[in-house]
Amino acid sequence: MELVVCIKRVPDTSEAEVVIAPDERSIKEDRLPFDINEADNYATEEAILLKEKYGGSVTVVTVGKEDSKEQLRACLAKGADRAIRLDDEKFAGSDGYAIAKILHASIKDLKFDLVLTGCLADDDGYGQVGVQLAQLLGIPHACLVTKIEVQDKRARVHRELEGGLDEVLDIELPAVLAVQTGINEPRYASFKGIREAMKKEIKVLGLADIGLKPEDVGEPGSKIRLEKLFVPPVGERAQVLEGTPEETATRLAEILKEKGLI
Amino acid sequence: MEIEGQTFAEKFDLFGCIQCGKCTGGCPISMKSSLNIRRLVYESIMRESNESIFEMPELWDCTTCATCSLRCPKGVEPADVIIGMRNLLVEEGRLQTTIRDALESIFKNGNPWGRIRDKRSEWQEGLKIKNFSEGQSAQILYFVGCTPAYDPRLQETAKSLSKCFDRAGVDFGTLGNEETCCGNEVRRMGEGGLFEMLVEDNSSLFKKYKIEKMVTTSPHCYNTFKNEYPETGFQVQHYTQFVSELIKQGRLTFSKEIAKVVTYQDPCFLGKQNDIYDEPRMIIESIPGVKFLDMDRSRERSLCCEGGGGRMWVEASYTGERLAEVRVKDAVSMGAEILATACPFCLLTLEDAVKTTGNEEKIQVKDIMELVAEAI
Repeated sequence: MELVVCIKRVPDTSEAEVVIAPDERSIKEDRLPFDINEADNYATEEAILLKEKYGGSVTVVTVGKEDSKEQLRACLAKGADRAIRLDDEKFAGSDGYAIAKILHASIKDLKFDLVLTGCLADDDGYGQVGVQLAQLLGIPHACLVTKIEVQDKRARVHRELEGGLDEVLDIELPAVLAVQTGINEPRYASFKGIREAMKKEIKVLGLADIGLKPEDVGEPGSKIRLEKLFVPPVGERAQVLEGTPEETATRLAEILKEKGLI
Repeated sequence: MEIEGQTFAEKFDLFGCIQCGKCTGGCPISMKSSLNIRRLVYESIMRESNESIFEMPELWDCTTCATCSLRCPKGVEPADVIIGMRNLLVEEGRLQTTIRDALESIFKNGNPWGRIRDKRSEWQEGLKIKNFSEGQSAQILYFVGCTPAYDPRLQETAKSLSKCFDRAGVDFGTLGNEETCCGNEVRRMGEGGLFEMLVEDNSSLFKKYKIEKMVTTSPHCYNTFKNEYPETGFQVQHYTQFVSELIKQGRLTFSKEIAKVVTYQDPCFLGKQNDIYDEPRMIIESIPGVKFLDMDRSRERSLCCEGGGGRMWVEASYTGERLAEVRVKDAVSMGAEILATACPFCLLTLEDAVKTTGNEEKIQVKDIMELVAEAI
């Protein structure tokens, strides 16, 4: 079974203070830790599990600068066989659609049965790439995937719906599946494994290598243009509790009780 | 079984083992866990395949307290066998998620708690403590450690220690946000590669700031710097050693009494593994008003709190009474009002145990430095 996984390097903003850059269209990244996008980590694990079960190989693809080598190497250490990094200064400002075009151009000629992506990026949260990639490849897709069982040239795929409902689809392969977090338990990439993965090649491709034109990518090739980033003003009903952890926890419990929530 | 192209017996020098079982007899968790260290040593010599370790969740029960190594009459170090087996699990990536997350966080943020580097020195804001990473220098590096740097409860220990250093006129500073995990627990969780990276990074950082003398909060940091870092070029002390000297030299004097019965939990990485038994007791006994009582099981016979060897990040495979609970009950029954310790992990496990055994009214858990800071 031939598998392709699309991943993204994203800043970890769970605790860090997010500061908007002077251009008002990006955030300051110099002091932020970076990691593989959470859902993509699950997608990678799922691909490796499928490879371990059915044989074949896993190719990891990312659109990203030099530093995303770190994430590709971790995937290679975990069991992916090869990696492709798509990098060109013209890619800057690409929206989900342009990213999907770049990914499509680079993987359309590969042999694959399944393309896995994460269902949502932790940074911009558009959740578009998987679906648009499937559209461009002209193959079926499912998103928010929580279980994949492959049978011959078809896959039985579970999707997570609201209200705890599960939708089960029978999908013809090849297909694109956008994976939800929690589908598996991603393994650990050991330091030794990452060092050994440095022997595996990471192919770097630019705009010309994948046969696209400047107008296909970046802002000219996008349908969405990010106008401005700003911190939402504090709403009138928002309340910031101050004091020691004991005091704030007590006050929070009181508020929840007053509102009848607990 | 094999590791890195060698048999376990060769790698860990196990041929001396006579299977007497003193290791298992001394193991603090063998009564509760299916982990049997004597049998593991035997199996690691006799088995051809490594496969069996993937079905042994109890490998994560070991706290690496090293009682087994201490008591072995043949000089074998059985705990290394477990670390070796964990090494194989790490390389396969087959880890419990909490261990995985701790290791990934150390690689990414330099601490196992999933916290960002930028907040590492937040505890020292407003305390006028020198910071090597901001261009200041001092005679002594205070190596705070991950848990005292981030955990609000343990920050009290770091603050108390800084207060005492100030009072004694010690010229000290921290590495601020540049401080990174020492790797003691990393090595014991079996991530040898990451440990080597930390040794390299930390050693070059200490060199960059020309560190000659270092004092640590945690016995765990102390242990690895002292015994596992190669050719460090600096002197390292646990704070109990350093502070007991300050008291002896008359640089730190007390002005208040603590009229309480105090007992002491020997941290394994301070006592059993580094023979530091007298200094902490000397500090406690020098505090005016304190009535010090040793527990029955103390010093070399002390009972582990179950916080070491990665156990801060993984639940044991067994249930039942925790050793920290046993310890708290022992302390309460002998009439102690304060259970003192000198290790961040002991403090957290014992304080939890005070709550779970319902002894909050009877006994308090304190770091020795908190007592000293109170009495100066």
